[in-house]
Amino acid sequence: MAALSGAVASAADPAAGKAKFEPCLACHASGAAPQGEVAPLLEGQPDNFIQWQLVYFRTETRLDPAMTPISKLLSDADIRDIGAYLASLPPPHAVQATDERPDLTEAGEQLARANRCASCHLDGFVGRDAVPRLAAQREAYLLKSLRDFKSGKRRGGGMAAMPDAVYPLSDTGLQALAHYLARLQ
Amino acid sequence: MSSLPKSWASGAALALAAAALVASSAFAQGLKSYDSTKKEFWEHPPADWFLGDETQAQKGLAPKAPPATGVPIEEIQATLKNIKLPKGFHISLWASGIPSARQMAWGDKGTLFVGAFGVGNVYAVTGPEGSKQVKVVLKGLQMPTGVAFRGGALYVADIDKILKWDNAEANVDNLGEGKVVYGDMPSYPAHGWKYLVFDKHGWLYVPLGPPCNECLPPTSVSQIRRVNPENGNAEIVALGVRNSVGGDVDPRTGDYWFSENARDWLADNGPSDKLNHITRMGQHFGYPYCHQGNLPDPKYAMGHKCSEFTPPVLNLGAHVAPLGMKFYTGKQFPAAYQNNIFLAEHGSWNRHQYQGARIVRIIVDAKGHQAKQEVFASGWIKGAQDFHGRPADVIVAKDGSLLVADDWAGAIYQISYKK
Repeated sequence: MAALSGAVASAADPAAGKAKFEPCLACHASGAAPQGEVAPLLEGQPDNFIQWQLVYFRTETRLDPAMTPISKLLSDADIRDIGAYLASLPPPHAVQATDERPDLTEAGEQLARANRCASCHLDGFVGRDAVPRLAAQREAYLLKSLRDFKSGKRRGGGMAAMPDAVYPLSDTGLQALAHYLARLQ
Repeated sequence: MSSLPKSWASGAALALAAAALVASSAFAQGLKSYDSTKKEFWEHPPADWFLGDETQAQKGLAPKAPPATGVPIEEIQATLKNIKLPKGFHISLWASGIPSARQMAWGDKGTLFVGAFGVGNVYAVTGPEGSKQVKVVLKGLQMPTGVAFRGGALYVADIDKILKWDNAEANVDNLGEGKVVYGDMPSYPAHGWKYLVFDKHGWLYVPLGPPCNECLPPTSVSQIRRVNPENGNAEIVALGVRNSVGGDVDPRTGDYWFSENARDWLADNGPSDKLNHITRMGQHFGYPYCHQGNLPDPKYAMGHKCSEFTPPVLNLGAHVAPLGMKFYTGKQFPAAYQNNIFLAEHGSWNRHQYQGARIVRIIVDAKGHQAKQEVFASGWIKGAQDFHGRPADVIVAKDGSLLVADDWAGAIYQISYKK
C-alpha cells in the first residue's frame, strides 16, 4: 500500500509545474504589476483548489477574459503539475501596512464568525482540499470574488456553497470581509 | 442567517481559549447548532448546510472533493489490480476522462450517457470496446447527476426541472436546447441532485431530498414521485425519504426499490443507510422521525414511534452512502445472480474510519423478505480516509457484464465473469 501511495504522490511533477507557471507570474506574482491587482496570489493554495478552478475555467463553468482562454491550453497533466507546485510553496504574507480601517477589520471578523466561513475554509482560513486559503489574499481579489458570487457571475462547485454564503451579506459586509482576510496571517 | 446562534457565546469562549494557546491562529470557530426549519435556510443554505449539531470530536469531518481532473489512467490501473471480487469475476477500465461521473443510461444504439456532479456536464460514451470516446454533450447544468433514456430521448434532471432531448443519439454532437417536461420541483440546491428511473409503463421515478441534514422538511420534498413526461402528470409514491440517489424497478414485479442515505452527525456507527421497497402508494419511510426502522431521532421524533413507518428491507451499514443500484438481468453472471441487486456504495465522509466505496450484492425475494447482502467488489479505500475511487452507479451492459461509474476517478469500469 505504501508503494501505491508513493506512486500516487509522484504522479504530479512540481518541478514541471514551476516551469509551466512561469508565464502566469505576470499577474500572479506578489510584486506583480497593477493589472495583477485583481489576480489572486496562489502560493500555498491547496492543490485540489487550484486544479478545480482550472477545470472550471476550462469547462466554462467559470468565465474570465484572461483565464478562460489560458486554461484551454492546459492538459490534465499540466493542471496536476501546477496544482502540486503551488501547493508546495509557502503561503503569502499578510499586508503589513498600518490598518487604516480597524473598524472594517473588526466587522469582517464578526461576519466571518456569524457566517461560519471557517467551517469550510478552516480555522485560520488556511483552506483545505477544494476550498481556498483566504488568509493574506489580495484584498482587491477577495472583494472581486465575493461580489462575483453575490451577483451570480461566479457559481460555486457542486455543493451549495459560496453564492449562498454571500447571499445575506451587504456590499459593505463584503468589503469588511475582504479587508479582514487580507490582513490575516 | 443574520442572527447569531445561541451557542455562539460558548463558541466565542472556546475561540478565545484557542487563540490564547495558538498565537498564529487567532480565529477558531465554535461548534454549530442548526435551525434548518426555515424557508430561508432551504433556499439559501449556509455553505456548511450539511453539518448538523456537531460534537467537538466530529468537527472537521466534511465531504471530500474528488480530484478535479479525475485520476490518471496508470493510477486507476494500479488500483484495479487490488480490487477484490468473487472467484471468476474480473474488473477492467472501460472508459476514463469522465470527471464526476454519476448515473449512467444506455441509449438504444449503444451510446452510454453519463450524468455528473460538480462539473455540471453530461457525457456520451461511444465507440468500440477498448477505444471508447468520451464527449461532453451538455454543460453548465446544476448538478445533473440523474440521467435516463427512453424512446430515443435523453432525460436529465437539473435540480428543479427535468429536461428532454429527442433523438439524442443521432444528435450527440449538437443536442441543442432541451425541452422542460416537468418543472414542479423546488430549487433547493442542498440534496437537490437526483436519480432517474423509468418503469416499463413510462413512469419516471424521481427522488426529492430534504434541503438539510435533519429537519422537518418542506412538504414538497423528502419524497419520491413518479412523473409522466408525456403530459407532465405526477404523483407522490413515497414519503419520509431522506436523500435517495439510487433505485430500480424490480423486473419480477414492477415495484420500485430505492437506496437511502441516513442522517449524519449522530455517530460513526449509526444510523444505518437503507434499502427500501415501495409496496403501496404513499408509504412513509420514517424521515425525519425515525431512522433505520428502529431509531427515533433524538430531536425530530416529535412523539412518533418507529412502528408507524415502513421499515427498510435491509439496513446496509452506517455512512456507507448507497447510491445507484440495478437488479441484475444479464445472462453472463452465474444463474444465482439473476434478479439480485447490485448497489454502488459511495463511501463515508461523516465517519472517522471511512467505509463503503464498494459494490454490494443483495439477495432478496420479490416481496422484500430474506434479504442478505455480501460485498461484491471492494478495495477503493486505503487507510482511514483515503479514497482511490468511489463507485457511484452501476448498470448492466448488453453482454451481461456490469459497468461501474466512479466519480472520484472519473472513470467507468467493467466487471465480467468467466467460468
